Parts: sequence; structure tokens; C-alpha cells
Amino acid sequence: MPNIKLQSSDSEIFDVDVEIAKCSVTIKTMLEDLGMDEDEEEVVPLPNVNSAILKKVIQWATYHKDDPPLPEDDENKEKRTDDISSWDADFLKVDQGTLFELILAANYLDIKGLLDVTCKTVANMIKGKSPEEIRKTFNIKNDFTAAEEEQVRKENEWCEEK
Amino acid sequence: MGYNKCFSADRVNEKPRTSISLAIPASNSVIVDRSSNDDARKTVDVNFDARSAMAAGVISYDSNDAIAVSTLRRFNELFGLLIYNRLCVAVAGCEQGAGGGGRSADTIRRVKVKMSSVSAQGVVERASAELSRRITGLGLRGRRRSPGVVERVASALCGPAAAAAVAPRVPRRRRPSPRPLVWSQFIMEERFLDKFFLYFTANERRILAQVCTKWRDLLYSSPRWWVGLVAALDCRELRSVSGCCLQRFYNTLVKREIKGVVLESASDEDIAEFIRQFSLSARHVQALSLKGCTITDRGLEAILDHLQVLFELELTGCNEITEAGLWACLTPRIVSLTLTDCINIADEAVGAVAQLLPSLYEFSLQAYHVTDAALGYFSPKQTASLSVLRLHSCWELTNHGVVNIVHSLPNLTVLSLSGCSKVTDEGVELLAENLPRLRSLDLSWCPRVTDNALEYIACDLNQLEELTLDRCVHITDIGVGYISTMQSLAALYLRWCSQLRDFGVQHLCGMRALQVLSLAGCPLLTSGGLSSLIQLRLLRELELTNCPGASPELFDYLHEHLPRCLIIE
Repeated sequence: MPNIKLQSSDSEIFDVDVEIAKCSVTIKTMLEDLGMDEDEEEVVPLPNVNSAILKKVIQWATYHKDDPPLPEDDENKEKRTDDISSWDADFLKVDQGTLFELILAANYLDIKGLLDVTCKTVANMIKGKSPEEIRKTFNIKNDFTAAEEEQVRKENEWCEEK
Repeated sequence: MGYNKCFSADRVNEKPRTSISLAIPASNSVIVDRSSNDDARKTVDVNFDARSAMAAGVISYDSNDAIAVSTLRRFNELFGLLIYNRLCVAVAGCEQGAGGGGRSADTIRRVKVKMSSVSAQGVVERASAELSRRITGLGLRGRRRSPGVVERVASALCGPAAAAAVAPRVPRRRRPSPRPLVWSQFIMEERFLDKFFLYFTANERRILAQVCTKWRDLLYSSPRWWVGLVAALDCRELRSVSGCCLQRFYNTLVKREIKGVVLESASDEDIAEFIRQFSLSARHVQALSLKGCTITDRGLEAILDHLQVLFELELTGCNEITEAGLWACLTPRIVSLTLTDCINIADEAVGAVAQLLPSLYEFSLQAYHVTDAALGYFSPKQTASLSVLRLHSCWELTNHGVVNIVHSLPNLTVLSLSGCSKVTDEGVELLAENLPRLRSLDLSWCPRVTDNALEYIACDLNQLEELTLDRCVHITDIGVGYISTMQSLAALYLRWCSQLRDFGVQHLCGMRALQVLSLAGCPLLTSGGLSSLIQLRLLRELELTNCPGASPELFDYLHEHLPRCLIIE
């Protein structure tokens, strides 16, 4: 298997199997569109991913390299979050900052499976929390006026599942 | 003139998001067009127009590319190199821009580069060939580039700092980074949130809408986030809420397309207020549920008059409503009706329903005083339309009532006789023989049902998908043996069937189509017996609450072997 060199934002070089690297649609497209040859001794810079995160991403991609492609799911379909495999669950036992970084990286590198499982993990993290706790978790500013906040609280309190 | 060429970039064109064409018609300029894209599907067009082929200046076309605007006087070799480098940057840039650069389509930049003097025909040719190779991916294997030239020229023209920007070490792979890299920005991006909110239920999104205005506005803007929710209002509480607050709430119901309303503890006055403040409900509310209300027949008539698109009605615990009231106000629009625990509701109410609701599809009734005679009221109208009948805790019903059901409603697909405790095996035999379309049957809390009934069911109800036998305490392993031959059955509930033993579970293991199984509260089952359930490979849900025989080790074992099954411990 030919390898490819990936360079993290902090200039660390990772030697990765091309097929594993190509689980990132971003890298795959780059290689194809720019006609880069697999045996060319060149480095793909990934300026948005630092070495710690890139290492995790490669670890994930290596474990999942033989996974069947994810089914093209219905864009509007609600997704389960209780079906994270135990390997992924262990893999994602990281601090919150790392988890968010992984989502950013998965999004930037366009790795659907990793984005999916990290989103599930974050979703599970905030399920059952109050709006204030969610704001704290994500560092979101509460930009409601007091009256607006009260209104939106009622608007949602007055709804329930059928 | 050999320059009227058009290079089509095949490999690039395979990707819907990028297209590049190079045209070299007659003119004295180079035009580089780049449409900034805020959407992965937008195309980026780069046109080269370089007939006379000597450039006096090359200008970069997007500030994000970090290439300085420069004027070049001596071109010769460099023209082609610079152009193709920039083109590569443009391709990479648009790829990445798709991830959320956030630049809008109207910021199209057009840069016109004038060409002066003559001479560089060969250069343009080379540049074009180079471009074509680059874009079509023919490869430049083994060919040595000389980035030093680019750097040197850029340096000479724009100073060393700009040179670094113009000619990075691996210029054609350089990607601009317009995307926000900060989590706090990312979590506000519509593109991301549109996906992220999918990981929540409508119920959970109620909390998300309270986080910030951005999230609220995004969630409120699409009804798809709210499917499955109803408005549930306790009228006693509403009496102290300001009218404008309520009106705003009602407006969000319209916006979110929440079309069901539950009113609790409503009096006739509350109903009048509701109609006044939520006038849009006339054309919006499709399902109404009145729970524990003190409304009278008059109030019911008023609201049913007002709600012109209502087709689903539920009355629960409305003790002022009379049978005469139902006769007066039931409208033929209603296709789904639930009457539960309303003290005045008995046979006459069923008569009104049978007479006034010709399109009735679903009827649920819980009324202790309904007799067998009521079930004789159904007319040929309902024979065709009524598909779902639930009779809960109609204690007076006997097998005669079942005769009336099978006679007038032979097309039922869903039937519940839960708690109709006088029904016996003979009644079940009648059902099995005469309701061939049944897909779901609920006989829970029918203690007179025995293994014999299960034999009838197994023999005749070939389309049955769901069977509920909770608290049928006379059922034994033999009866379960009959059921286990039903290949269409996907859901089976045997809660608190106290005689069930491991042998019965062995039978169940043959039901390979089974997706949902409950053995909750079956006291005689052991871990050993239950462990054989791993043979049910399609199982999605297994309920084993209150099973004294189920050990922690059993649950570990089941989790391990049925990874996709939700196991309720």
C-alpha cells in the first residue's frame, strides 16, 4: 500500500496509508482534483488540524478502514444516538475540548462516520441538560432579553409529545 | 491562430462543485473570474483569455488566497507558472469554501489583467498545456518544478514578505482557510446545526430552542423540527397569562405547524377565550384533546363549530358531556375519535358515533357501562371505513358483543379488547375466524383466555403482526407453542403471564421474525432459559423488567450477542 504524508498545523508529518487517508473526502478530492500522484513524495498540509487531533483522526480511520460505507441517509430523518459502538465510545472518552476539536476536524476533513459519532456523543452530552447548562457547555452567550427568555420558555413548556 | 482552444477539465468536472474552463479567444487580456461560493454545488469558473499572450500584469482575485496583487513587467517563463499556481489555489479554495466560508455568491470578483507587448506566445502555450495537465490530472510525475523562480520574482516585485505569501513551499496544495475554526462559532453555523439538531427528538428540541436566539430562530423556521408535538395547555394556568403572550404562542404553533391541541380543565369560558385568541385555529388545528374538562355540551359544540379542519377528537374525563351533546355536535369530518372515562358515555354515544361519523377510521372507547347491544349499532358505512377499534375495560362486554363486532366490522385491522374480562376462548375463536385482516390484537387483562384461544389465533390470523397477552394468567407453554408457529408476528407481549416457563421461551426462539418481545414480570423464567433468546437475531427491543430469574450476567450476555437490541432491564 502506498503511503502519503499529512502535515498537521503544527508541522508534524504523519505517514499514512493512502486508502486510510482517503476516508477523508477532502483529502480524496484534493488528490484527485489536483492530480496528485500517490507515489509523489509530497506532503499534504492540513492547516486546520493540529497533531494531537490528527493523530486521533488517523487512529479512528485506521480502526474503521474496512467499515462498509454509511448508507445515504435521509437528510431530514431523526438520528439515534444510543447506538455508538463500544470501541467508539472508548475512543471518545476524551475531554470536552478534544471532542469539539474532533468534530471540527471531521467536518473539515469531511469524514462522515467520524462526524456522525462525535455529534452523537456531543448530543448525548447535552441531552437532559437545561438551556443554561447547554450554554455553559458550548460557551454560548444568552442573548435573550428577560422577557424573550420567559416567552420562549413558555412556548416550549406548553408543548409536549403526543 | 491556434489559441481558440477550450480545455475542459474532465476530472474536475466530475465533481459537481467545481468546473473550470479555459478559453483563449481573440483579445489582449487575461480575465480571471472567480465566483466565490457559499454552496458546495456552485461552480467556479476560471476563464483564461490570452490571445496575444503577453501579460503585463497578473492580479490575484481573492483576498482569501493570500496572494498579493502585483504587477509584473517581465513575464517570460513566469506567466504560466503563476497562473497555474493560482488556478490550483482557486480549486483548492473552492473545495474548502464549501465547508462554510460564508462568502456570498454576490461577491463575484472579476479581475482584468491587461496584456501589453507581444512575445510570450510560447509561454501561454506552455502555460495552457501545464494547466490542462494539472487539471485533468495527467500528472507531472518526475518533472521538476522550480518554485524558486516564482519566489524570486515575487520577491523582486512585492518584497520578501509578499513572496512568502505568493509562493508557499507547496503552492498548489495550499488551502486558504476561510472556515471558522473556533468551536463557539461553529456551533452557531446553520450548516452544522441543521445536521446537529437531527440527533435530537422534537421533545428535546424544545430545550434547544431556549438556548439562544439563533437556535430558536433556526428551529422555529422549519416545521420539520416539531413533528410529533402537540400544544398542551392547562386552562387554569392560562387564566393568569397575558393575552399577547398567548397570542404569540399561538402564532408559533402556526409557524411550527404544530396542529394538535390538548386542553386540560377547560370550562366553557376557557373555550370561548381560546377561540377568540387563537382565531387561526379554525384552519390550523387538526387534532383536539379535552382532558378533565368541565365543559358542557354547549362548549363542545362551540369549539367543534370553530375548528373547521379538525379530524381527530379525544374526550377524556369530561363528565359534563352528555350523549345528547354528542348527537348534537359530532361532525362527519371526524375520522378518529377517542372517548375515555366520560361518566355519561354509554350505548347511546356509540349510536351517535355510528350514525354521524360515516368516515370513522379509528374509534377508541373506554366506558364501563357499554353493553353488547352498542356494538350492533355500527352501520355499513363503518364496515368500509372503520379499521381500528379499541374497547378498553368495557367490563360488560361478552362474546355476544364480539359477534356484533365480527358481523358489522369485518375489515378491522387493529382490535383491542384489553380488560374486556368477560370475553372467553369462544369469543376469540369468532374473532380469529371472521377478522382475516387483523394485524394487531390486544387481549391483555382477559383472564378467561386460555391456550385454546391461542390455537385459534395461530391457525387463522395469518397476517397478525402484533399480539398482546399481558396478564392472561391461564396461558402456558403449550399456548406459546401455538403462537410460535406464526411467521408474520413481529411483536409479542407476554407481560405477567405467570405460568410461562423456560420451555415456552424455547418455543419463542423459533420465531425468527420477532422484533419486539416482552416477558416482563414472568416469575418462573430462569437466566438459562432467557439466554437462548440470542437466537432471535432481528430483535430490536426486549423487555425483561421484573423477571426474578434475569441476572446481571444474563444482561451482559444478551447485550453482547444482541448488540442492536434495546434491552429493558
